[in-house]
Amino acid sequence: MPAESQSGASERFVPPRIDGGATARSLVSRKPLAVVGMVILAVYIVLAAVGPFFVTDPVATDPPNALLAPSLEHPMGTDNFGRDVFARAVHSARLDLTLGILIAMCAMVIGSAVGVVAGYWGGAVDETLMRLTDIVLAFPGFVLALILVAVLGNSTLNVGIAVTAAFVPYFIRLTRAQALSERELEYVDGAKLAGNRSARVAFLHVLPNSLQPSLVTATLVAGWAILTVSGLAFLGVGIKPPTAEWGVMVSEGARDIDAGHWWTSFFPGGMIVLAAMAFHFIGDEFGGREA
Amino acid sequence: MWRYLGRRLLVSVVTVAGIVVVVFFIMRVLPGDAAAVRAGPYASEEKLEQIREQFGFSDPVPVQFVNYVKDAVTGDLGTSIRTGGEVTEELLIRLPASLELAFYSVLLAVVAGVPVGIAAAARRDTWIDRAARVVAVLGSSMAFFWLGLMLTFLFFFKLGWFPGPVGRLAITTQPPETITGFFTVDAALAGNWGLMGEAFSYLALPAVTVGFVLSAPIIKIVRSSMIEVLDSEYVRTARALGVRRREVLFRDGFRNALIPVTTAIGIIFGYMLGGNIIVELIFAWPGVGRYAYEALRVNDLEALQGFVIVVGLLYIVLNVVIDFIYSWIDPRIKLGQKVVA
Amino acid sequence: MTLLEVAGLTVGVTRSPTSILANVSFSIPAGKIVGLVGESGSGKTMAALTIMGLLPDGIEVRSGRVRMDGRQLMDPANLTLRRRSEDMAMIFQHPQAALNPTMKVGRQIARVFSLQQGSGRSEAMSQSIEMLRRVGIPGATRVAQAHPHQLSGGMCQRVMIAMALACRPRILIADEPTTALDVTIQAQIFDLIRDLVAETGAGVLFITHDLAAVAEMCDSVTVLFGGQVMEEGSRDDIFRRPQHPYTSFLLDSVQQEVDPDVVEAGVDFELVGCRFGHRCRYAWEACGEVPDLFSVGAGHRSACFLHTVGENRVGTS
Repeated sequence: MPAESQSGASERFVPPRIDGGATARSLVSRKPLAVVGMVILAVYIVLAAVGPFFVTDPVATDPPNALLAPSLEHPMGTDNFGRDVFARAVHSARLDLTLGILIAMCAMVIGSAVGVVAGYWGGAVDETLMRLTDIVLAFPGFVLALILVAVLGNSTLNVGIAVTAAFVPYFIRLTRAQALSERELEYVDGAKLAGNRSARVAFLHVLPNSLQPSLVTATLVAGWAILTVSGLAFLGVGIKPPTAEWGVMVSEGARDIDAGHWWTSFFPGGMIVLAAMAFHFIGDEFGGREA
Repeated sequence: MWRYLGRRLLVSVVTVAGIVVVVFFIMRVLPGDAAAVRAGPYASEEKLEQIREQFGFSDPVPVQFVNYVKDAVTGDLGTSIRTGGEVTEELLIRLPASLELAFYSVLLAVVAGVPVGIAAAARRDTWIDRAARVVAVLGSSMAFFWLGLMLTFLFFFKLGWFPGPVGRLAITTQPPETITGFFTVDAALAGNWGLMGEAFSYLALPAVTVGFVLSAPIIKIVRSSMIEVLDSEYVRTARALGVRRREVLFRDGFRNALIPVTTAIGIIFGYMLGGNIIVELIFAWPGVGRYAYEALRVNDLEALQGFVIVVGLLYIVLNVVIDFIYSWIDPRIKLGQKVVA
Repeated sequence: MTLLEVAGLTVGVTRSPTSILANVSFSIPAGKIVGLVGESGSGKTMAALTIMGLLPDGIEVRSGRVRMDGRQLMDPANLTLRRRSEDMAMIFQHPQAALNPTMKVGRQIARVFSLQQGSGRSEAMSQSIEMLRRVGIPGATRVAQAHPHQLSGGMCQRVMIAMALACRPRILIADEPTTALDVTIQAQIFDLIRDLVAETGAGVLFITHDLAAVAEMCDSVTVLFGGQVMEEGSRDDIFRRPQHPYTSFLLDSVQQEVDPDVVEAGVDFELVGCRFGHRCRYAWEACGEVPDLFSVGAGHRSACFLHTVGENRVGTS
């Protein structure tokens, strides 16, 4: 009977609800492309981690078996020194993937730290840092990396440093914008009132909250970094032959292509593009709508 | 409006000055003996000394800096040790080749990317949309050098549809008289249609290579800004009052979506102004990018430094131009505030 | 004479069992203003967009009929809405956002004339200036050359109304037309809408959460909560003789402090029965099902099980 029970929430009638509510959908159906990217990336990581133990020496030449077309024994054929293209591509996966991921991580750490400083303190510090990033961003990242390697000298470490430097400004911009909006929020005031020094507030409170978009960008940057590193290697800058590196391999293979030996450049180049795509699929889907 | 313009120009000037300074520091102050880099690995001590003298490396750094800035302001970017020519002059000769390639690449990217982006936005979450996203990811993950190589292999070596990678024209062909520096335009102005066709056929593969990569950001930006507009209240109004879907898409949608698209095209074109070192190398394109590559191979730092300064300058100039285009598209901006995409 | 009749309208989110509108019915007579009232999230705007055929992606019609003068507007087979633009026009809550920012307002109105009557460019333009005068815009010729951002909110709403009138609609849907405007402008817009009803004999669906506006404007009222019709009746029925607990609550909330628990509970679209169930102080076991609309007077109906036990007057306090 309709009792006018006003006495308390505990006695209130609890109406029935639809079972399960909104159906939870799996990652596969919500972000199919991200799953594709993760699967490709997983294959690459396995290849990079254990592959080198199972394939032949990537630099040992074998002239009698030069330029063999792809077969069961040589799934990607052999190059003009008789080296197995697949073996070289696998070794290169370890090098390029490590470089790509390390570069993205370093650029993110450095860029985020600088970005927080600029966004949180503002004023002259901010203005100076922003003008500096403007200047750096006026150059295509590839050109900047190229010049830096040219000046620093050819070595894998220098390539890493140069490419990292080219991508740092993106993270500075991003984190600064985040920090600018974060510092208006109440919790920052709260942290200050609780007696935290401003450096502590900036790094311990603002930085973690600015991290999410940085991670998405870092995924994309890992892809671009692989493209940049291999592009430099293709030009003969940074990583040099006979190192097994995708860009080096395409560069060497380019010499054979007019004679119809397409596999020496097709496969390593395809590996680059596929690796970059894997990172981009993941970054794109988690980055939402922005371009 | 004029205050805004003044501020904009001031920022540009500061940035340009910054570029000049940064390049100086990269080239002279970073670790490594600048003279040794220039002289090459096997140079004798006398040769090194001679180079130090010639380039003023023995002067104190501030003196070097003042001299360098003085030269840069007057447009003197030094002398190339590779060719012995004036860097400024050599860059200017090669710039039209890069600009022509950049122009057609961006044109291709826009012509292909804009309709794909619109279609993806209009048919959101259908297979068209998904296909467009895959194409966009493929484009932004593409290695220029690999695509260029594979296109050459397929369309030149295998099919023979397009000429090989030997530059802007066949080696035996006389280029048209220089008016604009664009071979396609100059040939047309001279009424030489055969030559124009030849110029286009040599442009095709490099322009497709670059255009494909550049279409990726255009597809993404057109898609997202079209979606934003199509979800807007004024598009709903237009639909509510019976305006047809097609007209809503192009009249209301596209013009408003054009604002962020312009920014994107501007930035992309800005980057392309400096030429594309890899593509110019693969297709033997005689532009500034290839000049930079040749300079790089022999450590011709004066030439490289000139290239970097020119690239930065062109980028800044273009950005100012884009600001003007904005105010023409969007009546809300009278060069006051920028609309963020 | 009933002009527009909406019956049993059910609308839901694609691939989800919940419904945003559940079995909603109302009708609009010619020359009358019908209020559709409810707090935000009650489904008012969704109902309007459904009968305009403007539902956003991911929202689908599950059942219902929409008839205009006895003519079916909604295809019963595939539940898509086909209407002529002279049937209905709609004006929106944020007039400035509802106008195209890159098109001059004169052109935006002229475009509707071109579509409706095939007017040529210059003819449509003079028609549009004439229409701007009719909605009370001084200096119509000058205003026609302005972009929306150069006009005030009230001015933009007049432009919006002019655009809607250019369709010569038989039904005008006004979705919170004055919420974004200040009070003096609100009074002017209300006058304008009333004049237009008197002049053209159009029916108006007036969507709002503002009870004062309803009391001032509407002939009859439908109260919506959680996508379900709670109560419907004439203006006097709703304001003087409310029968439904929700209507009473709504009226109380204007005058006095109400139980904050009830307000903050919001809308729960996953309730199987009455959507007001978890907020209603009278709720009991029967409320686990959806109540019918019980007749509680001439043209006055209320959807509450209280009416089955004879306690048919809740009363305001």
